[in-house]
Amino acid sequence: MSMRSPLGQARGSGSTDHGVQHWLAERFGAIALVPLGLWFVYSMLGLIGADYNAYQEWQSQPGNLILTILFLLALFHHAHMGLTVVLEDYVQPEWLKNTSVLVLKYTAFFLCTACILSALRVTFTA
Amino acid sequence: MVKFALPAGSNPVKGKLHKNETGATNIRNFHIYRYDPDTGGSPQIDTFEVDLDICGPMVLDALIMIKDKMDSTLTFRRSCREGVCGSCSFNVDGTNTLACTKPIAEIKGDVKIYPLPHLPVIKDLVCDLSHPYAQYSAIEPWLKADTPPPERERLQSEEDRAKLDGLWECILCFCCQTSCMSYWWSGDRFYGSAVLLQADRWVQDSRDEAKGERLTELNDSYKLFRCHTIMNCTASCPKGLNPAKAIGHLKNQVARRE
Repeated sequence: MSMRSPLGQARGSGSTDHGVQHWLAERFGAIALVPLGLWFVYSMLGLIGADYNAYQEWQSQPGNLILTILFLLALFHHAHMGLTVVLEDYVQPEWLKNTSVLVLKYTAFFLCTACILSALRVTFTA
Repeated sequence: MVKFALPAGSNPVKGKLHKNETGATNIRNFHIYRYDPDTGGSPQIDTFEVDLDICGPMVLDALIMIKDKMDSTLTFRRSCREGVCGSCSFNVDGTNTLACTKPIAEIKGDVKIYPLPHLPVIKDLVCDLSHPYAQYSAIEPWLKADTPPPERERLQSEEDRAKLDGLWECILCFCCQTSCMSYWWSGDRFYGSAVLLQADRWVQDSRDEAKGERLTELNDSYKLFRCHTIMNCTASCPKGLNPAKAIGHLKNQVARRE
C-alpha cells in the first residue's frame, strides 16, 4: 500500500529517452532478415541430399561465408530483441524478469558465437 | 509470472435472478457484474429480465430502467446519454464501448455488462480511473509556448488545424486504453492508447512550442514503446477514432530525431 499520489506513480522514474533505439534495431533487423532468410532457405534447399563435402564446398565460397555470418548475426540479434520484449511483458516479478533477460542475452551470444565459429571451422578445415 | 487468473475472491459467481413479474412478452436477459465493497466477497453476475417493450433502444436505457424499476442499488456512471461525456464506458457483450451509443438490437442473445477490464472496481460497474487520469496529467495536456501571447489568439493555418482532426474528438472514456493487453500487463508504466492519442494531439499542434520536450518524455521502452500495434484500441473506440495511428505518428516523430 503506497500513499504516493497518482501523478507521482504515473510519472514514476521518468523517461529513459532511448526506447526508440530498441524499436528501430528490431525493425532494421527484420528488414535485413527478409533477403538473408530467403537466401539461406534457397541455399539450404539446393543442398538437400548433398554430402558433407558438397556442403563444405558451398560454405567455403567467400560470398556464402559472409552471408551466413550476416544471417546468423541478424537472426540472433533479432530473436534476442523480440524475446526480451516478451519477457518484459509477461514476467512480473522484477528479479525474475531481470534474471531471465540476462540469461536470454548470454544464451543468444553463446549460440551466435558457436554458430559463427562452426561456419568458420567448416570453411577453414577443408 | 503474469497473472492470467484473477486473485482469490475476485472470480465472479452466479448472483441473483431479478424476475420480471409483469407478464411482459418481449424479455431480454441482462447479466450484470455486481460488487459491493461494504459486503465484500466475490463479485456476482446478477441476471435481470428486462421488458424491451417499455425500454429505450440503447444499453444505457436498459441500465437506467433496471436502476429505476428493478434494483435501485445498481451503481454505474452516466451523464450525457449521447456519446459526448464518456462516462458510461463498460465492457458490453465482450467489447469496451459506450452503453449510451450501443443499441440493444445489435447484441444477439443475452446482454453481458462488465466494468472496463483490468482496473480496480469501486462498486458494480464503477471502476477506479485515478491512474489513467494521472497518466493524462503526466503528458501535460495544455499548450506550452515561450513566445508571448499575441494581442489576439495564436494563429493556426487551416491545414495545421486539420491535423488535429481525429484527435480532439477523444472524450477520454478509456474504452481503448483498457482494451489493450499491453496496458493490462504494463499499465503501471505504459501510458496507454487514450493518453498517447492526447499526447499526439499536443505534439501535432502547430501552436505548441514544446514538441522536443514532449518527445523526450515519451521516448521510453515503456511509456510509448510498450505499444505492440495490437490495435484493440482502434477496434474498440466508440467515437471511431484511430489511437493506433496517433501512436504510430508519435513513434515516427521520435525516430526522426535519431
